This record gives sequence, C-alpha cells and structure tokens, in this order.
Amino acid sequence: MSTPTLDIQNLTLGFKGYTGFTEVLHGISLSVNPGERVALVGESGSGKSVTARIVLGLLQELRTARIGGSVRFEGRELDQLSRRERHALRGKAMSMIFQDPTSSLNPVFRIGDQFHDVLRRADPAISRDAALERAAAILAEVSVRDAERVLNAFPFQLSGGLNQRVMIAMALANEPALLIADEPGTALDVTVQAQTLHLMRKLVEEHHTAVLFISHNLGVVREFADRVYVIYKGRIVEQGATRAVFEDARHPYTRALMAAVPRLTGGGIPDIEENSPDFGAPLEIHDAEARA
Amino acid sequence: MIPLARLLAKRLATSLIVLIGVSMLIFAIARIIPGDPARIALGPNATAEQIADLRAELHLDDHIVVQYGHFIADVARGDLGISLYTNRPVTADIALYLPATLELVLVAGVMMVGIGLPLGIWSARWRGRAADNIIRLISLLGVSAPSFVWAVILMLLFAFYLPLFPIAGRISDTYAISSVTGFLLVDTLLQGDIRAFGNAAWHIVLPAFALALSGIGQAARLTRANMVETYDKPYIEMARSYGFPARRIANHYAFRPSLIPSLTIIGLDFAAMLGNAFLVEAIFAWPGLSRYGVAVILRKDLNAIVGTVLIISATFLLVNIIVDLLIALLNPRIRYSQRPA
Repeated sequence: MSTPTLDIQNLTLGFKGYTGFTEVLHGISLSVNPGERVALVGESGSGKSVTARIVLGLLQELRTARIGGSVRFEGRELDQLSRRERHALRGKAMSMIFQDPTSSLNPVFRIGDQFHDVLRRADPAISRDAALERAAAILAEVSVRDAERVLNAFPFQLSGGLNQRVMIAMALANEPALLIADEPGTALDVTVQAQTLHLMRKLVEEHHTAVLFISHNLGVVREFADRVYVIYKGRIVEQGATRAVFEDARHPYTRALMAAVPRLTGGGIPDIEENSPDFGAPLEIHDAEARA
Repeated sequence: MIPLARLLAKRLATSLIVLIGVSMLIFAIARIIPGDPARIALGPNATAEQIADLRAELHLDDHIVVQYGHFIADVARGDLGISLYTNRPVTADIALYLPATLELVLVAGVMMVGIGLPLGIWSARWRGRAADNIIRLISLLGVSAPSFVWAVILMLLFAFYLPLFPIAGRISDTYAISSVTGFLLVDTLLQGDIRAFGNAAWHIVLPAFALALSGIGQAARLTRANMVETYDKPYIEMARSYGFPARRIANHYAFRPSLIPSLTIIGLDFAAMLGNAFLVEAIFAWPGLSRYGVAVILRKDLNAIVGTVLIISATFLLVNIIVDLLIALLNPRIRYSQRPA
C-alpha cells in the first residue's frame, strides 16, 4: 500500500491560558490515502477544525498552543520540517475550503487578483494575464460560465454559491495532494450547498485529490465520503467505511448523533444528553483488519 | 466612473453650503467683538470725521444684513476687501502667507501618513512582540502631548543643544528665491537651485515633524487597532492557509480593509493640523498665516479675519472631499453603490 497522503498518529493539542492548561485533543489518529475522501464528523467544539488547522500548520504559529503526536504528510513528519518547508506546502500541496465563502474572500480585492495570488504560490513568476487565463479555465471546471465577469468582480457582487465555486476553484487551482474542506458551504442554503458539493466531488475525483472533509452534517457526509471518523470531545470514537458506520453504528455517541438528524417525517428533535457516560466508551473500528 | 463624479458633485455642493454658513457665522462674530475697527485702524490721533468717513466707507453703519450683502457681492467678484492692518487686499495677504502654512501642513501630512501607517502595520503584524510594544509606546508619547510642546522640545533638543537643524525660519537669507507658487520646496526646484531646495527642506523638517507627531501617533494607533481586528477575519485565515507571504498579508490583505475606517479620522487629523500649525509657526518663527491671523484678530481687521477663516474652512472642506474620494476609491462597496455614500 502506498504512503497515505495524510497520517495523523496520537495527535494532542492543548492551550496554555491564564487559567492553566486546557487539552482539547486527547490523542487522535486518522489517515487519508491518495485520492480518498475521508470525513471527520462531530459536534461543534469536538476538535474538528483545530485538527485541520494543525495539518495546515496554522496553529503551530500560536504561541499558546501545545501540540503533541505525529502528523505525516506524504510520509514527511511535519514537525521535522523547517518553517519554510512547512510554509511551502500550504496553498500548493494542501489547500483549504472554508465555511463561509463570501467572508473568506477579501472584500476589497477583485476575485481575479486574489486568484493571481493563489496561482503565484505554485508559479511565483506567473503574470496577471496568464493567471486570469488559468483561473478562467479552472472556473469553467466548476461550471462558471462568465468567468471574465466573476474574475473582475468583488466578492460582495457575487452570490454565495458563485463565491463557493470560486473557493473550490482556488483550492484546486494548484493541484494539491490534499484538500481540507472545513464545513464547506454551511453558510449557504441547502440546494446551493448540494450543487457546490457535487461539483467539488466531481473535481476531486477527476484530479485524484485526497480530501479531509470536516462536517457535522451526516447527510452530506454519507453522500460524499469513502470513510468516516466520528470525533467527540477531542477523541475519535468510531471509524470505518461510510456505509459500515452508517448502517451499523456501534458507538453510543455515533448512535445519538444519527438519532439527532431531523427527519422529514417530523417527530421533533430527540433528546441527546449533554454528556453521557456511554459517550466515553472506547473506540469502535469497523473492518479493522483491512486497515492494518 | 460615474458614481465617483456624482459623489464629487454632491460633496462640492454641500461644501458650498457649509462655506456660506461659516461666512455668516464668522461675519457676525467678527462684528460682535468689542471695539470700533475704524478707531483702531486710524489710531488715537484720528478726528471724529476721519473715523466717520472710514465707517461709512466700510459700510459699518448699515444694518448687519446689508453689510453681509455687500460682502457677498464682493466675494462673488473674488474680492475679500482691503485689510486695515496691511492696507492691501486681503486676497493678496493670504496669497502671501497661506503657501508657507500649507507647505508646512502638507509636509507634516506626508510625515503622518508616511511614518504613521507603516508603524501601525508593523505593530499589528508583530502584535505582542517587542517591536509592537516599542511602537505603541512611541505613538502613545506622540498623542499625549500637543504639537506646540513637541515644537519646543524638538527645537531645544535638535536645534539648540544638538544643532542639527536650523532654529527658525523657512530658508537661509543667502538664497534669493523668486516666488512663483509660494511653496519654497517647489519654487527652489523651479529655479533649478538644488542647494536652496536642500536648505528649505532642512528648515522644514523640525517644525513639520513637531506638527506631525501627534498625527503619526494617532495614525499608527488607529491602523494597528483596525488591523488587529482585521487579522481575525476569515479572509485573513484563508490568505494564511494558502501560504501567502506574511508581508503581503500585512501590507495588502489586512491593511487595505483596515485603512478604510482609519482614513476618515486621519483626514480630520490632517485638517486639524491647519489649526495646530498656528502655534508651531509661532515657535519656529515660520512666516505663515498664523502671525497674520493673530495680528488681524487683535486689530479687529474685519475683512482680514473673515477672509482668513474662510480660506482655512475652504481648505478643511477640500481635505474632507479628498478623503471621501479616497475612501470611495479604496472601498468598492461605496464606489459601486448607487445609494448616497
């Protein structure tokens, strides 16, 4: 088996604050293979987003953060890379899509100029015209027809769905090996979110991009991911192939999470306990033998 | 760019209304100050007839509304009347003294923006580090004393104890510069006299810096505060996650959006320097509008008072229009808005 694109082993994260040390990740392990779409599912505050930011190397710059364990990207231990090497990965080998496309694009620069900066990460000498041409080609892949107007526009002049396509196009522009999608399109309405996710899926399949997909939306995860990790309070509680986890949820927290999905048939939202002792049950691994 | 033209037209129209209001106000106030301008102008030995003649000539015995009518009619012809202090047209006096003041204020403004903004950017970029703390201390010092205090301190330190700069004046007497624009920095260059230019620049450094110091501090503090807020925005995190260079994030992605709210205040500070310049000019014996202004107020030289105040108001309004246009240029939301900005 080839080296996984992303391999996290026993990752811990804590913050040193005025009131002492708070640990938020208690040793999580997950891996994403080349071209694989892996979802990290959990409630708000479970540690999904900080995991993504550690992979990108953003949290390492925070002086209060204490990070332990190992994060390997394409076989290279991130911790042992120099600042410069780690910085070089960002935007080239790995990129990220954020929750709210409109507020993630700079309001006072044209889309085209921001695209230029993104493309400059891979080719520092690229001219503005060449960048716009390349951007238009990538935008066409996410079904943006009037690329010229979009590139000449400011983010506030475009719809949320269009901005999201721009974000997807930017994220994949430099052909990264790993795409991290942090609750993509959560700020959009459901139909637009579904459309853009469909486009994203099409693109990552074509480009054979590995995806770490972070979400609390089980429906979306079921559609999108090959494998799922369920995270609860800084611990992975269940992992396995998407189908296996959804059809045979074993961990009490996973079951509670699935029960919490609102149904079209009504019946209200079921009570979930804030903190059940069951949720602390040990990790459930589906098809463990295949993973080893 | 039609919206910009419309913005400019609207601002010019409101500025005109403001100017008319200011003229009425200062016209009335100048006449309320106790003392008879004719008697002051003619001196203690004047006869009653001479005084009555001058009062009639100045329309001082008419109703104030009639007087104002005369004044406006004159202004429309570009005539601000004769100064009783210098016996020359007020417009000529202002043309003589205003450029020196404007030159001082403009150089101070360039210092404010050219030093204050980069300090603010560095401060925000190295937030919490030593550089940030030093810059914050300096800018706090800058804003915590008025410009005339800085003028005295700088003069003592760098012109007296450590004579690096000239202590007073605009240029050394050895240079004969014919006045074209009234701005010495421009006139010397027009004359092609580089040494005279250097001399004039050398003279303006201390007074301009004293005038600019509080503005530098204010600009640095504002820029830092707005940028620190901007650094928490999702689009900055996005820029970081794409690995954009830290300097580019600071100078472009974080600075541009932060500049927009700062700019209004910086513009007001800049315009306020016109007023502060009066005291700095007095300390550095700068032959600007201040000495003229103080003299005409003490002599109750009605035309000159009104003229001086109007010119300063007009300059103030002009600066505000420029700032509004700059904001519109920087902020696409305003530039492309069809609604009134």
